Amino acid sequence: MGDAWILPALPVAGFVILLLLSPWLPRKGDWVAIALMATAFVLVIALGKDVSDAIGAGSFQGTARSWQWFNVPGYIEIRMGTFVDQITLVMLFCVTFIALLVMIYSTGYMHGDRRYGWFYAIVSLFVASMLALVLADNLLLLYFSWELVGLCSMLLIGYYNEKQSAAEASKKAFITTRVGDVGLLIGVLILFTQTHTFNIHHILSMAEAGQINERWLTAAAICIFAGACGKSAQFPLHVWLPDAMEGPTPVSALIHAATMVVAGVYLVARMLPLFESVDGMMELITTIGLITTIMAALIGLAQRDIKRVVAYSTLNSLGLMFVALGSGAVGAAMLYLFAHAFFKALLFLSCGSVIHATEEQEVDKLGGLWGKLPITAPVFAVGALAMAGLAPLSGFWAKDEILVGVKNGEMSQLVVVALLISLPITAMYMTRVTLLTFFGKPKDHHVHEHAHESAPAMTLPLMLLAALALVSGFVVFDGVGKALGFHSGWLGFVYNLGEGPEKYSADWAMSISSVVLVVFGLAAGWWFWSGEAKPAARAAAFSPLIYKLLLNRFYIDEVYQLAIDHVVLAAGQVVAVFDRAVVNDTGVNGTGEATDFLGWIGKHQQTGKIPNYALAIVIGVVVIAVVAFGYRG
Amino acid sequence: MEDVAAGVSLQHYVVLSMILFSIGVYGVLARRNAVLILMSVELMLNAVSINMVAFAVYTAPSLFEGIIFAIFIIAVAAAEVGLALGVILRIFRNRGTANVDEVNSLKW
Repeated sequence: MGDAWILPALPVAGFVILLLLSPWLPRKGDWVAIALMATAFVLVIALGKDVSDAIGAGSFQGTARSWQWFNVPGYIEIRMGTFVDQITLVMLFCVTFIALLVMIYSTGYMHGDRRYGWFYAIVSLFVASMLALVLADNLLLLYFSWELVGLCSMLLIGYYNEKQSAAEASKKAFITTRVGDVGLLIGVLILFTQTHTFNIHHILSMAEAGQINERWLTAAAICIFAGACGKSAQFPLHVWLPDAMEGPTPVSALIHAATMVVAGVYLVARMLPLFESVDGMMELITTIGLITTIMAALIGLAQRDIKRVVAYSTLNSLGLMFVALGSGAVGAAMLYLFAHAFFKALLFLSCGSVIHATEEQEVDKLGGLWGKLPITAPVFAVGALAMAGLAPLSGFWAKDEILVGVKNGEMSQLVVVALLISLPITAMYMTRVTLLTFFGKPKDHHVHEHAHESAPAMTLPLMLLAALALVSGFVVFDGVGKALGFHSGWLGFVYNLGEGPEKYSADWAMSISSVVLVVFGLAAGWWFWSGEAKPAARAAAFSPLIYKLLLNRFYIDEVYQLAIDHVVLAAGQVVAVFDRAVVNDTGVNGTGEATDFLGWIGKHQQTGKIPNYALAIVIGVVVIAVVAFGYRG
Repeated sequence: MEDVAAGVSLQHYVVLSMILFSIGVYGVLARRNAVLILMSVELMLNAVSINMVAFAVYTAPSLFEGIIFAIFIIAVAAAEVGLALGVILRIFRNRGTANVDEVNSLKW
């Protein structure tokens, strides 16, 4: 367990090899990256077995191992190391598994791309930074990996950088997450000044023991949460995520399911004791999560781009995870993260398959593809139902755990009600996108005729993910966990350190009401959008204001754009005037002009006549002689 | 040392040197012909040489530093004259004059 550093080292090796040798390797070296990722995945499985045995054997508190990073004698020693516990393990499993499938899928999707080797190199680095992030035992290493994740996501979102919109989207993603990242950095530094350590567990134990100044602790918690909001695309920093689908679709799957947005969920889960020791912080996390989830669900109803709908469904899910964390239900949040990784990767990869087959991603031009795409269509439907949370698919179990966790938590029961209200909306828009894409009459015959099912490299990962989306929720049961070689079911495995394992117990009232709501949502979606989708058109016509509000994503992007235009750029203009007038005209040019003027005066003293110079020399000599004489006395 | 030149003291040489140097300075400042300026410069050099030799003989006759210095000055002056006359010759060839008032293009 102590050698967990090998996990990120493997994809880093892949990155270096591909970067240097890719043009000379057969198939541009994609097999190197895939083989290294498969190795990492196998090692994660072995690691999982070790951890499970350790938990079964007794009080497991995680395994840490660290090395000296650098040392300022007499002041501070910074150590770098890995920490493995159940949360880490869930993350490691999701990241390596999804990355492996995405890489295999990409051999089909990215086939023949101009920068095929570069793509695999960056994906490897992306995964490596995410693995380092979840393994880090100190905030400094975590912050480095955090920034690397941001960098790689920017490179991948802007992968088609010859496209203006992709370049814009990558910039948007980088800058928006940057806003949160600055918060994270400030938070980390505040904690360092208060505790003189970067080690997460020392900081957490100090926070729990109340050894940190309360005001600073509050400030640090808010700053760190801002970082998590940026990365996990929570309101109000969510705007980058829907645009992030400008990247190649496998990258969207990776970002949404495994390597990027869940980093924030992980950070909050990891630092939860710190948030719990700050008054009102859990309420803030719950509120932000709730706003995100409901807003995303509403926006998802009106979007036209198939990938955009799925992107908003990710926001929806991330909000749910934050609500769960806000109630301290780490096990439920991690279960949702685990299940979400499968069905979200499935949704994105099957979107990619649709786009690959039709070269269209507007639902207005798709439709009637069910028969044309015999594998993609059913697996997309499975993913959509899992996302909607229909029993007994994986989404249902995960979502129910969250509902139960929130109900039993300290939050107001209104939160449960709000979550229940969001369920049918989620079901509705997932139904809508499925119906508009795969059912009904083809809206564009040209597109429809040229559609064809994708290659096995793409469909096999899809089928595997669909199977997992169907059954992965069953890990909540002890029997399933034992059959997989673990000592118990999910909640006995992933639990908040110090709280002890729980046993799964069904909350029938909650389950039944959630299933009823989901079925109601599915039915409403079917009624609105099946066939000619006339009721939907009537609904849009009935209230054009609401429809436009949803279609334009509550105008949040526009508000930001206005703020940038009128506040940031206006402030920039003031600075620009200062720069031009004071720095440039007075400082730089002024110095030059003064020198020029002095030179102009000086040059007119030159006559070119030898007697003048001779006279000057003589006078000079005499003056020096007199002065020297006088000086000597 | 009295037999070097009876009745002639160090002061005489210093005064002679001073007069020669002053004439040289006057010539450099007052003359307009480049060749005459050059000759005046030579006069100043010779004044310095006389000073050197005189001090050497009167104050430290067993050492030859001053005398050797004078020889150096003569050698350097010879080289300098050669160079300066060459320059003046070129100026005269190009401009038809050696009057330094008319040669004033060495400026901005």
